[in-house]
Amino acid sequence: MQETSTEQETTITKPTLAFKGQGSELFSIQIVNMVLTLVTLGLYYPWAKAKNLQYIYRKTELADSPFAFHGTGKEMFIGFIKGIGIFAVLIGVFMYGFMHGDNGVKFLCFALYFIGILALIPLAIHGMMRYRTSRTSWRGIHMGYRGTLGNMYKVYFTGFLLSIITFGIYSFWFDTNLRKEILGNTRFGNAKFRFIGDGSDLLLVHIKGYFLTLVTLGIYGFWYMKDLINFNINNILIEQDGKYSRLDSSLTGGQYFKLAVGNLLIIVFTLGLGYAWVVTRTMAAIFNNCEIIGEFNPDALAQTEEEYKNATFEDMADMMDIGLV
Amino acid sequence: MFEGKYYNGRTSKGMPAFITLEPSYIRVAWQTDDETGTEIWDLSEIHKSEFNDANTILEYGKFPRQSISVFEQGFKEALEQQYRDAKFLKSRYSSFAKTGLTGLVVGGLSLLGLAIVLFVWGVPALAEKVASHFPVSYERAMGEQLHAQMMQGQTIDSAKTEALQQYLSALKVESDFPIHVTVVEDDMVNAFAVPGGFIVVHDAILDEMEHHEELAGLLGHEIGHVQMRHSTKALTRSLSYFMLASVLFGDVSGIAAVIVDNASTLNNLEYSRTAESDSDKAGLELLVQNKLNPKGMVWLMERLNSDEPEFLKFISTHPNTNDRIKEIESHIRKTNYKPEPNMELEAAWKKLKAD
Repeated sequence: MQETSTEQETTITKPTLAFKGQGSELFSIQIVNMVLTLVTLGLYYPWAKAKNLQYIYRKTELADSPFAFHGTGKEMFIGFIKGIGIFAVLIGVFMYGFMHGDNGVKFLCFALYFIGILALIPLAIHGMMRYRTSRTSWRGIHMGYRGTLGNMYKVYFTGFLLSIITFGIYSFWFDTNLRKEILGNTRFGNAKFRFIGDGSDLLLVHIKGYFLTLVTLGIYGFWYMKDLINFNINNILIEQDGKYSRLDSSLTGGQYFKLAVGNLLIIVFTLGLGYAWVVTRTMAAIFNNCEIIGEFNPDALAQTEEEYKNATFEDMADMMDIGLV
Repeated sequence: MFEGKYYNGRTSKGMPAFITLEPSYIRVAWQTDDETGTEIWDLSEIHKSEFNDANTILEYGKFPRQSISVFEQGFKEALEQQYRDAKFLKSRYSSFAKTGLTGLVVGGLSLLGLAIVLFVWGVPALAEKVASHFPVSYERAMGEQLHAQMMQGQTIDSAKTEALQQYLSALKVESDFPIHVTVVEDDMVNAFAVPGGFIVVHDAILDEMEHHEELAGLLGHEIGHVQMRHSTKALTRSLSYFMLASVLFGDVSGIAAVIVDNASTLNNLEYSRTAESDSDKAGLELLVQNKLNPKGMVWLMERLNSDEPEFLKFISTHPNTNDRIKEIESHIRKTNYKPEPNMELEAAWKKLKAD
């Protein structure tokens, strides 16, 4: 696509997505991070993570402009300490139960531990979404999260209980409902997101993927993964001034195969040190194959967010290994 | 003067702008179809600008931040020249990245070296220190629970357990932990120690033994593990490996766990070799203290070295048996006493062997 622009004229930029990060650059950041983290016995970790995210956001572009991550190590450090505190208490309860001879006390402690962990997950997702979105901007326009903690608990526990009762069948609806709750409350300036994927469609993706993977002795597994990724991307809508656009991923099974096998080889042959390349390759595969279809106008976003200060659960989500963004 | 785009923090629309780098501020003159304006950016309010590429981005002021984006060649260089010591251009990350390929290779290799040093010496030394400060009462309580859990689903031979306990009480034993022995019915020729003084002996290994000195040697060996807190040390050690890896790899918990899992087993095998030979020595010392034939330890080893396939399972977690025998024999040569018969021990041994 050719763009013709003169200075005086305003042109509508095409909303292409791209990832421009390079493994070697990210690697040089990670080396500094690792050294500082080791020297400070791990205390540098939140600062390292902030820097890592700042780089990745800076190299992710929409309509030729990069995203920016404004989170700081200091903010995340506070979240990190709080997270560690809560975990220490829960693990303390668990250990107390483990050491205690009485089976009643043991049971009570284990139950408390699991309920505690379970109750933390929605809180961590909620906190993380509020923090991450508020710290993400593009051309100065911030993202935002409008979901309430109460609704997050409702969606999470309903989904969790129904999944148990239905022996896991409901978990596909649980997955899509959670995405609906999260994305439906995410703002990008005055634009809104929506997730329209349905649990039954997700179930079909899994059934098809599972059986074809079995039949092809695992080879279809790469296409199965590709289908899952595309399901999660293609069902995202962006609403701007009453008009809807859709994200569209053209990632193919062959590309995913190349990505996955390449990543595995990099990790194995560099003893994990090549992780930076794994990140940049993965980001590039996702973003460079993703486009926005529709009338989305990247020049017409308006700032809607207030300044937001709270980082309590950013690293909680990290500790629990919840990776959403 | 450079050409770029100006974003005012209220809309995402880029406004064409002329940017001038003045000694103490940056001037941004922007224009839209129907408006023009000039912003004066004070250097101290400009945010840190890192990781720029063909596109240089500067952000300014409080929320919502204004920003400029400049693609024009030479802007980055002009910026660096004009504001050499300005805070917003300082970045140890960028300075490291500027060292280029050599920097990357040297940095990567020294990091690898540092990791290896920590892995081979740092973590084991630290784990040893931590484990030795672990209170005895905690270790006992933890062992009690572990032992109780392990015994679930096992058949305990209570007659033999009683006889073995009698045998043990007739032995002179030095230990910080009260020693508790259990005989379980199991075809695998094995015996093991749980932290805190719990020793579990499979009846199959008792059936194989011909002399009671072997049993004394075995008990001495296991008590050695308990006394030297080998399991607790191994536990703190693998925990520390896990922590080291998560520090090194940041949030790559999955990969880190896999690497650490494999690496630490290799290393623990090495650890258990020295642990085993220390425990062998402890077993021999027990024989010496009780004036029993030190050969008991060698007989025990030889029994483990026979060709029965079941033995392999026991041997595989232990270092090479021939090496162990050689080491024990070298220690025996240094001992100098006449073994004395011990009626109490023999009586308990007979009870153990009676079926």
